[in-house]
Amino acid sequence: MTNTLWRNHILPFTLLVGLLAAATLLGDYLLHRFDLVWVGRYLGIPGTLLIIGSLLYSLRKRKMITAGNVKSWLSMHEIGTWLGSLMVLLHAGIHFNAILPWLATLAMGINVISGMVGKLLLARSREHVIGQREHYQLRGMAKEEIERAVFWDAVTLDAMSRWRKIHIPIFIAFAVLALGHIISIFLFWGWR
Amino acid sequence: MSKTLKIILAINLIALAVLTFAYPHLMVGPGKLIAAHSKLETDCFACHAPFFGTANERCIACHKPEEIGKLTSLGQAISKPRSSTPFHQNLLKQDCLACHSDHAGVKRFRVEGRFDHALLQADARKQCQSCHKSPKDKLHQQISGNCSQCHRQDKWIPASFAHEKYFELDRDHNVQCVTCHIRNDYSRYTCYGCHEHTQDKIRREHIEEGIRDFENCVECHRNADEHDIRMPGREQKTGRREGRRDDD
Repeated sequence: MTNTLWRNHILPFTLLVGLLAAATLLGDYLLHRFDLVWVGRYLGIPGTLLIIGSLLYSLRKRKMITAGNVKSWLSMHEIGTWLGSLMVLLHAGIHFNAILPWLATLAMGINVISGMVGKLLLARSREHVIGQREHYQLRGMAKEEIERAVFWDAVTLDAMSRWRKIHIPIFIAFAVLALGHIISIFLFWGWR
Repeated sequence: MSKTLKIILAINLIALAVLTFAYPHLMVGPGKLIAAHSKLETDCFACHAPFFGTANERCIACHKPEEIGKLTSLGQAISKPRSSTPFHQNLLKQDCLACHSDHAGVKRFRVEGRFDHALLQADARKQCQSCHKSPKDKLHQQISGNCSQCHRQDKWIPASFAHEKYFELDRDHNVQCVTCHIRNDYSRYTCYGCHEHTQDKIRREHIEEGIRDFENCVECHRNADEHDIRMPGREQKTGRREGRRDDD
């Protein structure tokens, strides 16, 4: 049981966080090594757009949009936020200047980790409800319908509801701080 | 999200917004300003035009181009100017950010003293020595002006001197400079620095041809081809011989 928890959940979680940190450090080193610091400066824009784009998953989950498979939207949300965060981290660099953008970066980092914890919890919840598959099969449901039912059971599980109570305020804090940084850039930066 | 959490979140974010307006230089400013601008630290719009960045007009309001290099922004004479000749008066256009920046976080990635000579008016661009001192080595001390003959305006090094315009350095003449330019004195040269061209041999060959003025070799010989001779006032000899050149 302990081995399974480590192998299936904690290890992938650690790898994803570690990979993000390693990719950030490597990217930052390469940008400085090849005198491409200016590229890092503009990576904030695609990074932010990717993060905003990945929020479509939340709209799909709340049925504000109906197109597409909700599981595919979740994968897009995970990949989009991971890549977007990497770009924003490269954009931030390891330079401490103003406080507001650093608070935004910190909030984003906490948000990313919280998101990964959510991914881990969702996988655990899924395992918890997967036992009900037989129950659904007995009721004669199609395979696709069972998958969907298991997914919704998993995301509505109590553990996930409690996690969302933390994840969403973290996201709001990140969004407001990032917005403050973006407004200040538009206000003071000379686009030339 | 619970009501309490919403209130805590809102209070924190409002506090951050208040701090941003109260201490903009700490909250959003990308590092300290230069010492001379330290009084402007909390007055962002002294230099920044909202949504348009740093406007030249705002720099010029304090730093009048006609006074730069002569007077400080407070109107006092500059006792130790950074350049020997004021040159801001000779710029094609006022584009302050092309060379200058502020805020420590921005300056870190800008090359200090970066200056694009293309910003100078054409006449000023040719007068290198009004800003630059000639190097003190023997080569440069004898040259006045015409720096662009060897140097580019974006980089001093590498210098490209077209030696082939004076004498072609082929495989038989791929030697150290001092072989021909004794003591690295580039104002003079000698072709007698190697065994091939002894003074006696050269004299004998030229006397045989009826040539008595043969001390300035490169006047007629611009390369090792003995048939490519450019004698002033005479028709050029163009016959070429295959293989290795022979001066004997």
